[in-house]
Amino acid sequence: MRLTTQHLHLAGADLELHPYRAIYWQQEEALLLADLHLGKVQHFRREGFPLPQDVTNTNWDKLIALLLDYRPERVYFLGDLFHSDWNAEWEEFCDLMDRFPRVTFSLVLGNHDRLSDKAYSRSRMDILEEPHRVGDFLLSHHPQEEHDAAYNLAGHIHPAVRLSGGGRQRLKLPCFYFGGKTGILPAFGVFTGSKVLTPTADDQIFVITDSSVIRAT
Amino acid sequence: MQQQALIQRGTDWFKQQGWTPFPFQMEAWQAHLDGYHGLVNAPTGSGKTYSLGMPILLEFLRDHADDPGRADNGLRAIWITPIRALTREIQGALQRAADDMGLNWRVAIRSGDTSSSERQKLKRKPPEVLITTPESLHLLLASKQYEKYFKDLSTIVIDEWHELIGSKRGVQIELALSRLKGFLPKLKVWGISATIGNIEEAISVLMGNAGQPDQYKVIRANIDKRIELETILPDTIETFPWAGHLGITLIEKIVPIIKAGQSTLIFTNTRAQCEIWYQKLLDVAPDLAGIIAMHHGSIDRKLRDWVENALHEGTLKAVVCTSSLDLGVDFRPVENIIQIGSPKGVARFIQRAGRSGHQPGATSQIFFVPTHSLELLEGAALRQAIEEKALESRMPYIRSFDVLIQYLITLAVSDGFFPGQIYEEVVGTYAYRSVTPEEWKWTLHFITTGGESLYAYDEYRKVEIEEDGRYKVNSRRVAMRHRLQIGTIVGDADMQVKYVKGSRLGSIEEWFVGQLKPGDTFWFAGRSLEMVRIKDMTVQVKRSKKKKGKIPSYQGGRMPLSSQLSAFLLTKMDQIRAGQLNDIELQTLQPLLDVQTERSHIPDRSEFLIEYFTSREGHHLVFYPFDGRNVHEGMGSLLAYRLSRIQPISFSIAMNDYGFELLSDIPIPIDEGLANELFSTRNLGQDIMDSINSAELAKRTFRRIASIAGLIFMGYPGKQKKDRHVQASSQLFFDVFRDYEPHNLLYRQAYDEVMTFQLEEARMRQALERINQQKIILSKPIKATPFAFPIMVDRLRGRLTSERLEDRVQRMKLQLVKD
Repeated sequence: MRLTTQHLHLAGADLELHPYRAIYWQQEEALLLADLHLGKVQHFRREGFPLPQDVTNTNWDKLIALLLDYRPERVYFLGDLFHSDWNAEWEEFCDLMDRFPRVTFSLVLGNHDRLSDKAYSRSRMDILEEPHRVGDFLLSHHPQEEHDAAYNLAGHIHPAVRLSGGGRQRLKLPCFYFGGKTGILPAFGVFTGSKVLTPTADDQIFVITDSSVIRAT
Repeated sequence: MQQQALIQRGTDWFKQQGWTPFPFQMEAWQAHLDGYHGLVNAPTGSGKTYSLGMPILLEFLRDHADDPGRADNGLRAIWITPIRALTREIQGALQRAADDMGLNWRVAIRSGDTSSSERQKLKRKPPEVLITTPESLHLLLASKQYEKYFKDLSTIVIDEWHELIGSKRGVQIELALSRLKGFLPKLKVWGISATIGNIEEAISVLMGNAGQPDQYKVIRANIDKRIELETILPDTIETFPWAGHLGITLIEKIVPIIKAGQSTLIFTNTRAQCEIWYQKLLDVAPDLAGIIAMHHGSIDRKLRDWVENALHEGTLKAVVCTSSLDLGVDFRPVENIIQIGSPKGVARFIQRAGRSGHQPGATSQIFFVPTHSLELLEGAALRQAIEEKALESRMPYIRSFDVLIQYLITLAVSDGFFPGQIYEEVVGTYAYRSVTPEEWKWTLHFITTGGESLYAYDEYRKVEIEEDGRYKVNSRRVAMRHRLQIGTIVGDADMQVKYVKGSRLGSIEEWFVGQLKPGDTFWFAGRSLEMVRIKDMTVQVKRSKKKKGKIPSYQGGRMPLSSQLSAFLLTKMDQIRAGQLNDIELQTLQPLLDVQTERSHIPDRSEFLIEYFTSREGHHLVFYPFDGRNVHEGMGSLLAYRLSRIQPISFSIAMNDYGFELLSDIPIPIDEGLANELFSTRNLGQDIMDSINSAELAKRTFRRIASIAGLIFMGYPGKQKKDRHVQASSQLFFDVFRDYEPHNLLYRQAYDEVMTFQLEEARMRQALERINQQKIILSKPIKATPFAFPIMVDRLRGRLTSERLEDRVQRMKLQLVKD
């Protein structure tokens, strides 16, 4: 499948929006991802909800593909990386990080991230306080209401928008949502839902299909 | 005691009440006392309760002639009824007879309303007769040592079986019966059912593998009620709306009927319609304030009880209601019945007509209020259908793996179960007789490992297999969650509506609440309410003075027209074409029919009408099979799918009971379609399957399945936060099963149910065969016709596309905040 990305120049930075629901920040050579919700499948299964295990593999496949394609210096996870207390999926994820030794992995903690300090400190993951400033950008899990950075990038919302067309056509699609001073990333993880937002005419919206990112107007 | 003398005691008791037993009642006593299973085929209000209540008492008198007055006799009989509203009537009737006959018996109720201390009491000391619902019976099967609790059980009665059979609660009954019969070989199983089109099948389903003709008796009451139908006609058809479903325009004509009668029941089809009619009645006739009430399934039990009592006492002039008052004992003071909008089925209409308290043999009158012009046709069709007694069938659910999974976990929660034994019982039921050993194995696997692929580190925990081979739930959390889940066969995800101060008003669907913000006003239970906040699955409200407010709509509201009724619609169309306007309804419709003829065409039996025209919205292609909205939904998706293979195109699909519309933003290749066997039954199964996929129909059905099988957990009042980490929508489950586990039986069940119940595949195939015999009339009117209009304005639409998502997005616009 051919993948189509979109380029966005924002607050002096060049961002590439990828249909795997990630942003590549060219100047920083950094990959930004939000809301992976790893461990959710195991968490559900432990409670007696029969989710197929293979769901997890899709997360790994997409993550590995992004790491191989962009070869980033850093990966920033904007919160809700892990949807559970410790389970075996965390160890799988640590293995995956070990296979990319030149990459720095950092996590801005989200509301679902409740692993113990020990679990983090035994891994290669850097833990960052929310919000975390990188250049003119402010990285956070929760969208920041007021800030003095040029721009805030956040997750948490799992944004989607509705589109309508002739013949009473309607669609709901996940999206990248860029407002005046805050941009919201789509949720990366499989088996996560989405919330419909209603944008204003000034917002920049990029909807996501399986293979493409498309600017919506 | 001799049988004859026993029956005499029953007759004597009847005489003391000033009654004489009907022949069917005595026939039932005899059959029961002889040890048969059976079914009593009798309508409500015919004395059916005593047809089986009496022999249960007589049997005890026979078997304990030495000391009939002794106490604590264990649980002798269970009486299952689908709705709680009926329980108290039955309790009163049975307790009175038991007392009079010198038995020291307790007749008790156990339902969702029973307090937990009362339940504990019933548990410790079983009553002789327990009146309960299918869910509550399953809850008993989920408790420890249930076999001991049921050990004295001699009879189980399934009341209103015609209601239960067409639902998954019917399947719950089949499973519970299979278990009870498994350890109580002498248990007598009896059903009570009104007449339905497939009464023979209804008996087979109830009896399961005990269904040998020499093991059961069918007893027919043969009580006839004559029904007279009067359609409320608009003064001028020209100003009567072409579309709509409320019927408010005729409200002025209803008021005199209400005022003239002692008491009137007004049946509406949806809860939203019920709320609106109640309000509007008060608007046009303020003097009715205080003497009319409303009644629907989302209103709190206490309020409903109050309404029912007032109806019995004759203190209410009118009650606006929904199907919530379809069943149950008659309200003697009720004189008039009014039906707003199409009742969709003949049997339902007859049932409602019979709710007035007339003596058997007398004529019931029912007024039919059409909500839009074409619905007048239905008045005429209904009259003929009633004359010809064309009653609908109730199709039983089969192979419901969701209910089976729930049942097996129920057994695992109580004392655990051994698969070999339970398998024999399960395949002895009608619903599961075709379940293969492989499918059974899959089911066991599903509840123990949660799917097939096992990883070394998997922590899946639900049902565990003990060393002796017993399947058992050991986790208290899983057990607790499961007990809460058992009730979900009935309800969707509903939220409680309560005043801030605490008193309950009822419940509304979660998705409606999602549209409300604090401070918004909405109408519920006839009151204007302001939403204050949402807390722990409860909507807290206070009284509002505002007149305007949203009205909750409920997604379950849209019933399809039955095939019986649609057959008579076709007959009426034929009569119109032949100029035989014998019915007053058809005469009234005449001017509208003239417009239809002028703009397009009225088909007779040998023709099939398609209309193709353009409007600002796009290109409309409208088909008129008159087969009911279910068939139309399926046929709409099928034809959209076939047309979309000719060229990339996107459709939105709307339907009503008369026809369906395919709407597109680009011209529709209908001529190519017709040239390429658009209606062919060749490759039908596969094409339907593909169109279901494209139209995402199965997703909706899967929601119910997922909640019954316990995949999704709604949380419960007070505990919501704690379990948020395991809440996920059924849609997510559906997607992962489709992508990762397509042979999952629950996922496949969604398709089966869509085919059978939603699209009514069998009926659709017949319809297509009929169309293939008909002459296709492709009419191209310059604007919308009276036939097309009510379909076009429907906003609830299905969608189907063969375009690439990326291409569609390019032509679409973002929905922005409105200024």
